Amino acid sequence: MIPDAIAASVLQSGLIPRGTRVQVFSEIYWVFLGLGTLVGAVVIGYMLKNAYKYSDRGGADEKERPKLGEMPTGGGKGKKLFLSLSLSAIIVISLIAWTYGTLLFVEGQTGDQGVDVEVEGYQFGWNFHYLNDDGEYSGVNTTGTLRVPVDTQVNLQITSDDVFHNFGIPALSVKGDAIPGETTETWFKATEAKNYTAHCYELCGQGHSYMEAGVIVMEEEAYNDWYAEQRASAENDSAGNIAAAGV
Amino acid sequence: MTDETQPRTDGGTATALPGDSHDDGSHLPPRWSIKRWLITTNHKDVGILYIVTAMFFLVFGGMLALLIRAQMWAPRAPGEGILSAMAYNQAVSLHGLIMVFWFLSPIATGFGNYIVPLQIGAEDLAFPRLNALSYWLYLASGLMVFASFFQGSTFAGGWTLYAPLNIPAFMPSIGATTTVFAIVTFCASVTVGGVNFITTIHRMRAPGLTMRSLPLFTWSWLLTVWMMLLAFAALLAACMILLSDRLLGTTYFAMTTDGGSVLWTHLFWFFGHPEVYIVFFPALGAMAEIFQTFSGNRIVGRKWFIVSMVLVALQSFIVWMHHMFLTSINLEVKTLFMATTIGISLPFDLMVFALIYTLIKGRIRWDTPMLYAFGALVLFIVGGITGVFLGAVVLDYEFRGTYWVVAHFHYVMVSGATALIGALFYWFPKITGKTYNEFLGKVSFAVFFTGFNLLYFPMFLAWGTPRRVFAYRPEYLVWHRIASVGAVILGISFLLIIYNLTKSLISGDDAAANPWPYSTTAEWAVSSPPPLENFPGTPSYASGALEFLGSDDDGSGAAAATDGGHATEHEEVHVDHASVWPFVTGVFSFVTVIGLSGLQVGSYPAGLEGLFYQATSVVGVVGLISAISAMGYENFTAHEGGFGETWPFGGVENTKMGMWVFLASDVVLFGAFIGASIFLRVAYGWTNWHPVPHNPIPGLVNTYLLLSSSFSVILALVAAKKHSRKGIVASLVITFVLGLGFLVNKGIEWLELFHEGVWLDSGVRASTYFLTTGLHMGHVIAGLLITAYLIWRAWNGAYSEGSGETLEYFGLYWHFVDIVWLFLFPLFYIV
Amino acid sequence: MARTKLYTGIYVALFVIATMQVGIEQIGLLEESYVLALALITAFSVIKAVIVAGYFQHLVWEPRSLTYVMMLGFVGFLALTVAASYSIQ
Ligand SMILES: [Cu+2]
Ligand SMILES: [Cu+2]
Repeated sequence: MIPDAIAASVLQSGLIPRGTRVQVFSEIYWVFLGLGTLVGAVVIGYMLKNAYKYSDRGGADEKERPKLGEMPTGGGKGKKLFLSLSLSAIIVISLIAWTYGTLLFVEGQTGDQGVDVEVEGYQFGWNFHYLNDDGEYSGVNTTGTLRVPVDTQVNLQITSDDVFHNFGIPALSVKGDAIPGETTETWFKATEAKNYTAHCYELCGQGHSYMEAGVIVMEEEAYNDWYAEQRASAENDSAGNIAAAGV
Repeated sequence: MTDETQPRTDGGTATALPGDSHDDGSHLPPRWSIKRWLITTNHKDVGILYIVTAMFFLVFGGMLALLIRAQMWAPRAPGEGILSAMAYNQAVSLHGLIMVFWFLSPIATGFGNYIVPLQIGAEDLAFPRLNALSYWLYLASGLMVFASFFQGSTFAGGWTLYAPLNIPAFMPSIGATTTVFAIVTFCASVTVGGVNFITTIHRMRAPGLTMRSLPLFTWSWLLTVWMMLLAFAALLAACMILLSDRLLGTTYFAMTTDGGSVLWTHLFWFFGHPEVYIVFFPALGAMAEIFQTFSGNRIVGRKWFIVSMVLVALQSFIVWMHHMFLTSINLEVKTLFMATTIGISLPFDLMVFALIYTLIKGRIRWDTPMLYAFGALVLFIVGGITGVFLGAVVLDYEFRGTYWVVAHFHYVMVSGATALIGALFYWFPKITGKTYNEFLGKVSFAVFFTGFNLLYFPMFLAWGTPRRVFAYRPEYLVWHRIASVGAVILGISFLLIIYNLTKSLISGDDAAANPWPYSTTAEWAVSSPPPLENFPGTPSYASGALEFLGSDDDGSGAAAATDGGHATEHEEVHVDHASVWPFVTGVFSFVTVIGLSGLQVGSYPAGLEGLFYQATSVVGVVGLISAISAMGYENFTAHEGGFGETWPFGGVENTKMGMWVFLASDVVLFGAFIGASIFLRVAYGWTNWHPVPHNPIPGLVNTYLLLSSSFSVILALVAAKKHSRKGIVASLVITFVLGLGFLVNKGIEWLELFHEGVWLDSGVRASTYFLTTGLHMGHVIAGLLITAYLIWRAWNGAYSEGSGETLEYFGLYWHFVDIVWLFLFPLFYIV
Repeated sequence: MARTKLYTGIYVALFVIATMQVGIEQIGLLEESYVLALALITAFSVIKAVIVAGYFQHLVWEPRSLTYVMMLGFVGFLALTVAASYSIQ
């Protein structure tokens, strides 16, 4: 594990992608895609070049070739092999180390700020329980639609009521396993007041293909109004319930 | 075929070993007779059976793939398309399971069977009947998969069988149980095969063929079987626990069990990641052979290639949690597994570069095998690079459960299949003695390569599609359409391949012994196909190159094997090639499983259906025990090891080594059961958990009983050394009585718990206690059955004349059962 | 038969160690200091296992490679159990 001090300084250097989940993902993804394509093209191109160059066209052959029944041995070129290995190792390890900084950023982000929602998967849909600042259930809950304020960090606590699901909003680059009896935490921040769709990403039975939820990103004020309204009706409900119970 | 006796020594003793043989065509019917294929134990026959059967499952799995692609032709509303939602889930699940378990591994096993003994200079495997048994268990398991489709519904929860979707509460169909049973049976097949190959490759190599000079295909296969032995034991444990949840009602994976779902992912992926290499290694080894032969170059950096494979094989067991980055595992563990995952990619870089550099200064001939091998490498590079994306945890967070993963692993797995098809063309002349149609072969490659990339590359472009759904965003339509077209083209290429090979088998030209210039390995030094006993003389590399000793001076056997100049006696020893019992065992395994599949949470279905399942269970179990006993009683002589190189198991006789290797896999089996208990206890809260039995004293008494029975087995061995028949019988009887005492004591304990209402389904503490000690009890019962058999044999004087090896090997097993108890006792009774 | 004497001695030792494991529980060490008791009991189990494998199964007299094969399986068990249990801490 890298010591915290180094981690902190690397995180602050500006080298490590930070921002919303969408930003960090796309930044890293495009770097990987660019480098990956380049490496792939070089390696496969080199293969094809040699495949063409050394194709058997008959003619004289100076080289001593393998014979049937010989003891298996290796050809030379060990140096070249290790040079290529070192090169590829440097590329891969530095890429991963670089993304590790972002991982620390992403993992360090859950918690104190923003809106907390418990996401509960069931066969075949999603419940959303809104939590108050103390992390307690606020009485507000919705089924099938997640409403969140724009430009605010939304912390998700994902769990399941039955089988293993996975909650993901692809356009907002957020995803987490929904496991019965466990809670996984993740977060996202939407920068536009738009509608999105959440999917289930783990096969969970017959209705898996259609196990979706709407995600409505609202302007701050509109969200606050909606939330206050929900709170009020939830309180009325529970008060009504108590009254109805004749206590 | 030669008829002379071949001299053998086992590197130290001067006694002749039964390694010599005759071509006993009299015992083995000719190839055109169906009977031959049912009773053969010859490694080449078994190899052919494996390859042909695997091709059938390729077609089966491929048809399911086409169904999937048909459903994906357009984003479907509920009820639209050719498949219902449940049918689609079944197709997705069984496509994965069949391709991984019933096609990829078995076709590689076919080559391992046919080619490896030839490459190492062995006339057959160490345990030919167990080899046949592996095959019949494989076929039986495959037929169970077929049957499962007709028992309501087959398994429909994905090839990863995630919990708790996999338990009856969510998947009640009998067919799902049969599918899990099929995996268990396949695990048994693989374990038996692993023991066999490990023993064979380590102990039955020709003189001079040291480990470092083994051909690369043999190396890759050796590492594959080692990984199989240990990884499949974990899968076996996972599926046995799952079966217990399904059949008996334990609650390991129940929704309400803390950590139950995550436990499944640990057990499954502990197997699942090594499985990737289990599937890919034989392909890699075949690629190395083909690259060398068709470039006319020896592989670059051979030593480092081998070192890389060994590193990968070891590391493959410590990367599994990269499949679980989005579960609730902590950041430290994620970091660790990210590091090991990147670490495991580096040896692969080296191997890829080694293969590429082998081309340089070559005289590359583009015959069909080389086209496939070369194409496989290109595809593997794409698969490898896109896999690095998944190694970056932040990217994996988004790719998890999407078509990126689907595209990536198909590029890896199917590139392996590509290389294995290359291997099929490469070894086809050797196996059949016929030449395939080269032109058609090249055409098939062009179609294959086009279809492959049309099918899988668009999946990268449509990567936002969730896995295993048939409703996707309309913007991906074009990519999914192209993929579906590609699937059809890929399917056509397989038809071309199958047509080409079938036609050539019937009417192809005869193949030369060595149709490939620059090939080096020993299988090309014998005729195509090779004779029953493989070699014209005793193969030896002692002089630095392959020679067949004694092939010229017929019958005299004067040219003794050069392993240090020991004089060898000659004895006409007959070696067997046929036994019907592996086949019969396979049949009754199938019957047993069909019967037991009807059991659900402790009871059979009502009415006639239940009666059918119960009757089938009884017939199956009785038949199975009889068949195994008959196989044990049958006289069967196999080739002994130790005639050449044996590192690092010199001086450990084949059967003893097989027993030890089996026990190593049993360590992992019990380890996974114990690990599961410990994991669930940690999830439950370690100190909140108290032992299920109220009192440790009965457990202590059982410890005494088992320790004493171990001691009496030792006494039996001492008596055998003294050639005392009475001593042997008395000691074994004591062992039997003590073991029986253990069972009775345990039975009383269980009955008391049952009376108190503590049953297997009374929560996770009871489940782990009953199942783990139950597995141990199963081992005790098996041990007692063997003890009873040994007593009967000893009474008839079987072990008092010889050196009592059988008793020693049984002792190894029995002491192992004792050792396991030494851990179970404190874990389940004291702490 | 020197070996017979050795085996008998080992047999007695195993008996004693097994009894001691229960003894630890009986004197209440588990309540007093759980970790210490757990460590002792585990250590005793390991000692017994090593003795049985080494002498009853003759591993001390066999090529070391067989011991390594068994260790391979055991290390696999440890890796699975320790890493999995740690991952949910
Ligand atoms: Cu789902
Ligand atoms: Cu993996």
